[in-house]
Parts: sequence; structure tokens; C-alpha cells
Amino acid sequence: MLLPKFEYHEPKTVQEACRIVGELGEKAKVLSGGTDLLVNMKKKLIQPEHVVSLSKIEDLKGIFRENGQVKIGACATAGEIAGSEVIKDTLADVAEAASVLGSPLIRNLATIAGNMTSARPAADLPPSLMAYGAKAKLVKASGERSVDLNDFFTGVGKTVMTPDEILTEIAVEIPQEPYGDHYIKLGVRQALEISLVNVAALILLDGPEGPIKEARIVLGSVAPTPIRALSAETVLAGQVPSDVLFERAGEAAANDSKPIDDFRGSAEYRRDMVGVLTKRALKTALDRATSR
Amino acid sequence: MDTYSVIPIRFTLNGDKVSIEAGAHETALTVIRERLSLKGTKEGCGMGECGACTILVDGKSVNACLMAAPQLEGRTVMTVEGLGREGKLHPLQEAFLEHHGVQCGFCTPGLLMSAQSLILETPRPTHKQVVEAISGNLCRCTGYQQIVDAIQYGADKTGGEE
Repeated sequence: MLLPKFEYHEPKTVQEACRIVGELGEKAKVLSGGTDLLVNMKKKLIQPEHVVSLSKIEDLKGIFRENGQVKIGACATAGEIAGSEVIKDTLADVAEAASVLGSPLIRNLATIAGNMTSARPAADLPPSLMAYGAKAKLVKASGERSVDLNDFFTGVGKTVMTPDEILTEIAVEIPQEPYGDHYIKLGVRQALEISLVNVAALILLDGPEGPIKEARIVLGSVAPTPIRALSAETVLAGQVPSDVLFERAGEAAANDSKPIDDFRGSAEYRRDMVGVLTKRALKTALDRATSR
Repeated sequence: MDTYSVIPIRFTLNGDKVSIEAGAHETALTVIRERLSLKGTKEGCGMGECGACTILVDGKSVNACLMAAPQLEGRTVMTVEGLGREGKLHPLQEAFLEHHGVQCGFCTPGLLMSAQSLILETPRPTHKQVVEAISGNLCRCTGYQQIVDAIQYGADKTGGEE
């Protein structure tokens, strides 16, 4: 299957990449892993005149921990994230999400930057990163900004990024409190699946045996962007964890979701599953928080 | 084509250095299959769904249909043609024959490359690890059981050697 023709750019530095996208604007698309971009180009959904590849920029690779933060380079692949000891130690559910993205073949190509900038409602990596309040570093020729992923997605395939910006890094603050997380993806198949519902839960405890200080629940595939289940979070804040509490949080999360009917599943089923999966995700998150 | 630049690409393919000029709109798959005439790497869906085009890039299995040709620059690539030698099949290939892992054969090269990628990292994979490793490769004939058996048997025979 053929790609439409385009001019190819392969900058070696972020600075050079910013200059190129700054000059070309809407005419250029950024290629990181290519597993969404090239498919969309083959389907002729987009036909950019220019493609700017990030693969030769060494600064965008790697995953490391420094000063209480985990930093994930834009070109880190899903496979690298799933296998990273740093991620598994600190952000277990991000590794879980990366390990169920696409297929092994896709995971060896697909990057974290692509999974963010494609902004698909069912994307695997955003929910758990949003639960942690991860920040995207957006760089352009004249400066840079850091955007909380909770403010990053604006619609299906849409983000706050402007055409002259490049996403260079995702940074996550490691919580100070005892914490635990879990990510659950529900599909009808085990691989190459686009979720019916996905749920990420993060629990922060007030001391090792303490009540829940704060909980964050993020739902995917049930709205145009991944969304926080804010009323479920309110149900949990300050409370002593229990099955009954998690049941109530699940009900609240189901009410927070705004799913649609499509060929993958009905809105009613999706809403019910938000409740079930939220409860399950919270249970595992609590187990992880208390055993940390 | 005229107004679009042609890009020189150098990479290692099955142990040999390759130097070729390609248009950026070509994929790794078209370079390997059409330009270099290695027909083992198949085009199935062209969208990353079927795995018929699986190759190893720096030891990792990827969909060749989803790589722009210039992304091959400087990489080490292995296709199914690099797996055995003339007159001597790789243990994985022998295992596919012995365990009836091949019917029509269209998916076989891709499955072999996914299997090879797995045993490079995990020389003695469990049943579950095999199933996961080939989850990006579709086979419409066998029902997979024979393929999973073949990969486990082939991994044992390979015994961690490459």
C-alpha cells in the first residue's frame, strides 16, 4: 500500500526540528513512531506536504528518574516503557498500559509522543499519565511550555499544541505519599484492540495505614477525550477504603462517563463497565499502596 | 516523483551492507520486497494489523509496512531470508515443518520473525509468552495451536544459540 508523496526532513536536534516546523506550519506533520501517522497517510486521511522525523534526535530517547521525577523522552517506544525498570518501580500502571497497546510489533515502533499527539479517545497511555498529573513539555523556536495532560486534550484527535510546537518529553512527579495505581483495558480481544473502556486509578494514602488522602480516576473511550471521574474522586477523598466505598466510587464514575453507542459496544454496557472496572482498579491500587 | 528528493539509505540487511536510494514515501516493506527483491516479507493489510511484513530491526520485531524507508538508515535489519542458510533451515523453521505450523504459508515468514525476536530475548519462553509474542501476527489457516507448539519446540532446539 502506497504512501502519498512528501518531502522528508530528518533534523538532528530539537532546535533544528522546531525551526523546520516553525517555518512549515500546517504543511508539516511530525513523525515519531509512525504507527498512526503512516496509516492515516495511507488511508489518505491526511496528506502532508512535509514529514519531519524525530528519530535522529538523540535527546528525545530514554527514560530516567531524577529529582523525584520520571522523565520519558518523546521517542521512547511503548515496548521500552513497558519493559523499563524505572517505570515499573515508580509508575506501575503506565507500564501496564504500555504493555497492552496494540501488538508487540506496534509497541516496538509506537512512541509516547505519538500516543499523546494522536489524541485518540481510546489511547492507552493518557489515562494513567493523567492520573499522575504528568506534564508534556512543548518546545518551539521561541520558547517552551509545560502543559498538564489534564489540560492537553481538547477533542478527538485534537490537543492544545500549535503546529510550530514539538512534544519533547513527558515528566511525572513521583508522589511523596504512599501510593498505588492500576490500569485496566477492556476490549473484546486480547491484542490489537481498541478499548471499549479503559480505566486508570491512583490512590494516595495519608500515611501507610491511613485513610485515602486523594484518589484520581481517569476514564478512556467514554468521551471525546480521556476524562477525570471527578465525582468519584470526591467520594473517595478523606475516606477509609472499603469495598462499599469503592462500589460507590464506581457508581459515581459510571455517572461521570459520557459513552456513545457504536459497533464496538453500547453506551449502556460501557457505562456499566466503567463502574465495574473502577471498583477493580481501586482495589488493586489500594493493595499496591499498602504494600509499598 | 521529480520534485521530491531521493534519500540515500545505508543499513545492514541479513549481515550484508546495503546502500540504496529511496523516495521518502516508500516504506521499509517496499524497499525490502520490491527494490531488494526479498519476497519473504509479505504485504498483507499494509496497516499494521496482520504482521505478514514482520522484520527485525535492531533485534526487535516491527511491522515493515509502518516504517518510512529513511527510518532504516543505520539500522540492522533481519528478514526471514536471514534466518536459515542455503541448504540448512533454522531450528524454528524445522519446527514449523515438523509441527505443521504451516498451511498456506503467507503468515509464516512474519510468524518466524516474531518468534525469533521472542527467543532472542527469552530463550525458553512459556506458552503464555509465545502467545503474546505472536499476538500481532494473523494466521487464517492453522488456528495457531500448531504454531505455538512449533515455536516452543524450536526454542528448545535452538537452546539459546542464535
